Amino acid sequence: MVDPQTTLIAIAMMALIVYLTRMTGYFIGLQLRHIRGIQTVLEALPGCAFMAILAPAIRQGSLSEIVAMACVILIMWRSNNVVIATSVGMAVLLFGGSYLDPI
Amino acid sequence: MTTWDSALLGIRTSGDYFLSTFIFGVMFGIAAAAIGIEGWHAMLMSASTFTASGQFAALEFWQAPLPLGTIALSVFLVSTRNLLLGMAMTHHFDGHSLRRRIVWLFLLNDPGVVNSFRQEPEVDRLGYVTGYGVSMMTSWLCSTFIGLKTTHLFAALDLGAVDFAGPLVMATMMMLFFKGSKSPPTPWILSGVVALILFELGSANYLILLGSVATGMVTAIVQVRHAYG
Repeated sequence: MVDPQTTLIAIAMMALIVYLTRMTGYFIGLQLRHIRGIQTVLEALPGCAFMAILAPAIRQGSLSEIVAMACVILIMWRSNNVVIATSVGMAVLLFGGSYLDPI
Repeated sequence: MTTWDSALLGIRTSGDYFLSTFIFGVMFGIAAAAIGIEGWHAMLMSASTFTASGQFAALEFWQAPLPLGTIALSVFLVSTRNLLLGMAMTHHFDGHSLRRRIVWLFLLNDPGVVNSFRQEPEVDRLGYVTGYGVSMMTSWLCSTFIGLKTTHLFAALDLGAVDFAGPLVMATMMMLFFKGSKSPPTPWILSGVVALILFELGSANYLILLGSVATGMVTAIVQVRHAYG
C-alpha cells in the first residue's frame, strides 16, 4: 500500500512535468518563430510524433488489430466520422479477436 | 470570432473525441481501482495531470515504495508529444496576454490542436483549443469517476483487447492531418518509415520518437526551402 503523502507527491510531480511539456514546446516555438517558413515545419511536428507511435504499433499488431486499423483508416478516408471509425475499430478489437487471431 | 465564441465552438465540435476520451477514462478508473489507488487520488491525478498516456504509464510502476524517479521519467517520455503540440501552436495563440497563454496551455490537448487546424481563419485558436480542452477534461473526470465506481462490473471482462484503442484514436487524428494538410504529407510518411526501421532495429521508444520527429522536421525544412526557392 502506497502511503498517501507519497501518492500526493507523485501526483504533484506528474502534473508539473506534464504541464511543463505543454508550456515548454510553445515557448521554444516562440523563440523560433522569426525564421522564415518555420510555421510549416512546426505544424508538421505533431503528425510526426503520431507516426512514431502508429508505425511500430501496426507493425507488431495482431491480425485483428491490423484489420481494426484498416477499418478506421478506410472510414476516416471516406467519411471523416471519428465516432463511427472508432466504434467499428473497437468492435473489431473486442469481437474479432477470437475469429482473426490464432489461439 | 471572439475568444468566448471560439471556446464554445471548441466545446460544440468536441463530441467525437469526447466519446473516445470517455472510454479511456473508464479504463483508467478501472485500472486505478484495481491496483489500489484511492478514488480521490485517482480523481486528483486526472484533474491535475489530464493526460491519458501519462497516467497509464505511471500506473505501471504504482507499487510501494513508489519509484518517483522512474514515474517521472516515464511520464516525461510519453508527454514529449506535448512539446511538439505546443510548438505547432506557436503562430496561433497571438493576441492574448502572456498570463492567459501560460494558464490556458494547461488544457492543451491532441484532438483540440488537430481540429483547430481545420477551422476557419477567424476562429480564435487559443479559445478553440481551450474550449475543446474543457470538454475533454469533463469527459476525462466523469469517466474516471464512473470507472472507479464500476470496477466490479468489469472484473470478469478481458480489457486487454482494447489496449490497441490508443493507436486507433491516434490514427483518426492522423487521418484528419492527412486530409486537412495543404502541403504534401511527405514528412509524415518518411517519419513513419524511419519509425518502422528504428523499431525493427530494436531501438528504444524514445529513440524511435526522436528519429522519427527529426526526419519529419528535416523533410519539412527541405520542403519549405524548395517552396521559397
